[in-house]
Amino acid sequence: MADLRLENIARDFYDGRQLRRVLFPINLTFKPGELTVLAGPSGSGKTTLLSIIGLVLRPSEGRMWLSGREVTGLADDVASKMRLATYGFVFQQPMLIDGLSVQDNILLALGIQGAHIPGVVRQRVAELLTSLGLADTARLPPQMISGGMKQRVSIARALIKDPAIILCDEPTSALDAENGQVVMGILKKIAVAEKRLVVVVSHDARVFPFADRLIKMENGTVVADTAAGKPQGLDVAS
Amino acid sequence: MRSTVAWRLLRHDRSATAGALLGVVAIVFLVGQQLSILFGLLQYMSVLVDHSGADVWITSASVRNVDAVNLIPGQYLERVMGLPEVAWAAPILFGNGLMRTADDSFEAVRLVGLHRPRLQGGPWALAQGRVQALLDLESAAVDRLDLKKFAHPALGSLTEINGKRVRLTAITEGARAFQGTLVFLPLDQVRDMAQTPPGRYSAILVGFQPRADQQTALARLRALLPECSVLTTAELSRRTQLYYLTNTGIGGSFGFSTTIAVLIGIVIITLTMYASVLQRTRDFAVMRALGGRRRDIAVIVLCQAVIVGGIGIFLGLFLLAALLNATRGSDIPSFLPAVVPPLLAGITLLVSLLGSLVALRKALQADPASVFH
Ligand SMILES: Nc1ncnc2c1ncn2[C@@H]1O[C@H](COP(=O)(O)OP(=O)(O)O)[C@@H](O)[C@H]1O
Ligand SMILES: [Mg+2]
Repeated sequence: MADLRLENIARDFYDGRQLRRVLFPINLTFKPGELTVLAGPSGSGKTTLLSIIGLVLRPSEGRMWLSGREVTGLADDVASKMRLATYGFVFQQPMLIDGLSVQDNILLALGIQGAHIPGVVRQRVAELLTSLGLADTARLPPQMISGGMKQRVSIARALIKDPAIILCDEPTSALDAENGQVVMGILKKIAVAEKRLVVVVSHDARVFPFADRLIKMENGTVVADTAAGKPQGLDVAS
Repeated sequence: MRSTVAWRLLRHDRSATAGALLGVVAIVFLVGQQLSILFGLLQYMSVLVDHSGADVWITSASVRNVDAVNLIPGQYLERVMGLPEVAWAAPILFGNGLMRTADDSFEAVRLVGLHRPRLQGGPWALAQGRVQALLDLESAAVDRLDLKKFAHPALGSLTEINGKRVRLTAITEGARAFQGTLVFLPLDQVRDMAQTPPGRYSAILVGFQPRADQQTALARLRALLPECSVLTTAELSRRTQLYYLTNTGIGGSFGFSTTIAVLIGIVIITLTMYASVLQRTRDFAVMRALGGRRRDIAVIVLCQAVIVGGIGIFLGLFLLAALLNATRGSDIPSFLPAVVPPLLAGITLLVSLLGSLVALRKALQADPASVFH
C-alpha cells in the first residue's frame, strides 16, 4: 500500500537551442486500489510525467512524496533501490532480454542487485505465469512466444516483486484489440483486487472503460481529472 | 543472478563473444610463444654456467658475460685449493675454432676445454657415447641438434679443428649456446688449437665443501683474489643473460613483439565488447529501470570480461602447451619457467578487464528513462 503525492512537479528539456517546458507545474495524488489512466495526445507529456513518478527522471521543479517520504531528487542508488522494492514497470514494448529464458527475465526483476533467489520463487514464477495464461512457457526463450504473450511476461516481471506501484506506458499499443483487452483486464484486477497503485498511460480510447480515474493531459498540463465517470474539480496549478 | 545473466548474454551473443575470445587467445598464445623462445634463448646464453655444477666461477676482473673473459693465471688454482671451504677447483678454457664438416666444408665453433680427469663444466647429458670418452686427448663432443651443421658425422668419425685431428666420441643433449656452436674437448687440445699460453685459463670453477657457509666462503675467495671476479654460478648466469638481453636487439625485439601482441589483443577485446554492449544498450536500460544500480551493470559487464578472459586463457594455454609439446626436442629454443603461465594468465585477465572498460563506460550510460520511449 502506497500513495504518491506530486506538488508543482514540472520538467524542462533542453532541445539543443533552448530550454523548453514540457510539463507545467502539476499537483496530483495517486491512491492504491484504483487504476488511473493518463490520457492525452502524443507529445502532451504523459511519458515524461510517468518517468518522474517512476523515479527514472528527475523533475526540474516541484516535490514528490511516496507514502509520506519525500522522493524528490533521490541519489541514483537510492532511486534504484526504491524502483527495485516498490515499482513494477510495463513498457510499450515488452522489453524482454534476449538470451534469458522467460523465467530468467522475470527473476531478473528480483535479482538485478545481486540478491540470492530462493528456490520457492521459481514456484511463484510458475504460478504467476499460469495465472496470466502463460503456463509452460518458463523455459522458453522470449523469441519463441507471441507479442501478446511477451507483454504478459513483462507484466509477470512487474508483478513478481509484489510491488506497491505499477506504472505502464502504452502497454496495449503494440497489441491487437483482443490482447489489449486481456492485458487491461489483468491490470484492472491487479489494481482493484490486490490494492495496488496502477497508472496506465494511453491515448487508446479502448482502455478508458477500465479506468477508475481518467486524467487527461494536453500541452504539458492536466486538463481533466475524472473519477469513474463523474467529473471532479480540476486539480491543476496554472 | 548477475553472473548468470553475464554468462547467458555471452552465450546468446555468439559472434561478439567469439571475437573477444579470439583476442584473449591471441594474447596468451602469441605472448606465451614469444616468451618461451625468449626464455629458451636465455637458457642458451648461460647454458655452460648453469650446468657447470660449480658453486663459484672465478674469472678475469669486471666480467660482463662468460664469453668475454680474459685469461687468468693457473697459480690461482693452488691458492683457491688452499682454502678450507673449497672442496675442489677446476680450470676451464674457451677458444674459437673452425671444424671441418663431413662434407668438407667448415663450421665456426666455440671450443670448451675441460680439465681431465674431472671434466668439470663438461657435458651433463648425452644422446650418444659416454662422458669418459672425453678423457682421450683426441676426442670431441658436439650436440645432437648441431649435427646437421656438421653434415651429420658418424659417431667415432675423424675430423679436424684448426688443423688438429679430433674424433667425435660423444653426442650431447641440450648443450646449445647462444654465442656459437659448442664443442667439448680436453683442455690441452683447446690450448693447442687456440694457441693460448700454457698455464692460463678462461675461468676456474670452484665447488665448496658441503658444510661450508657459502657467504663466508665467497667472502674469503674474494679477499684472496681481489684481482678477479668471483661470482656465484647464479650471479654469472644472470649477468651473462642480462648482457645479451640489453646489448643485442633481443630484449627490445621481444619486448616490442609482445607489446604489439598485447595491444592487438586489447584492441580486439575492446572493439568486440564495445560492439556487443552497444547492441545491448536497451537491455541495460531495462535492467536499470528494473532497479539495477550502475554498479550492477558494471558487475555484469566485468563478469563478462572475466568469463571471456578465463575461457580465453584456458584455450590459449592449451594451445601453447600443444605447441611447446610439438616443438620439444627440436632446434627451436623454447622454455617456459613455471611462473610464466600463471603470470601470463593474471596479466591477460587484467588486459581483458582493461579491454572491457570502454564497453563498461558505454553500458553505464544506459539511461533507465530511455525505456519509456
Ligand atoms: N529526453 C528528452 N529530451 C528533449 N525533449 C523531450 C525528451 N523527452 C520528451 N521530450 C519532449 O517532451 C514532450 C513530451 O513528451 P512525452 O512525455 O514523451 O509525451 P507523450 O508521452 O505524451 O507522447 C515532447 O514534445 C517531447 O519531444
Ligand atoms: Mg509517450
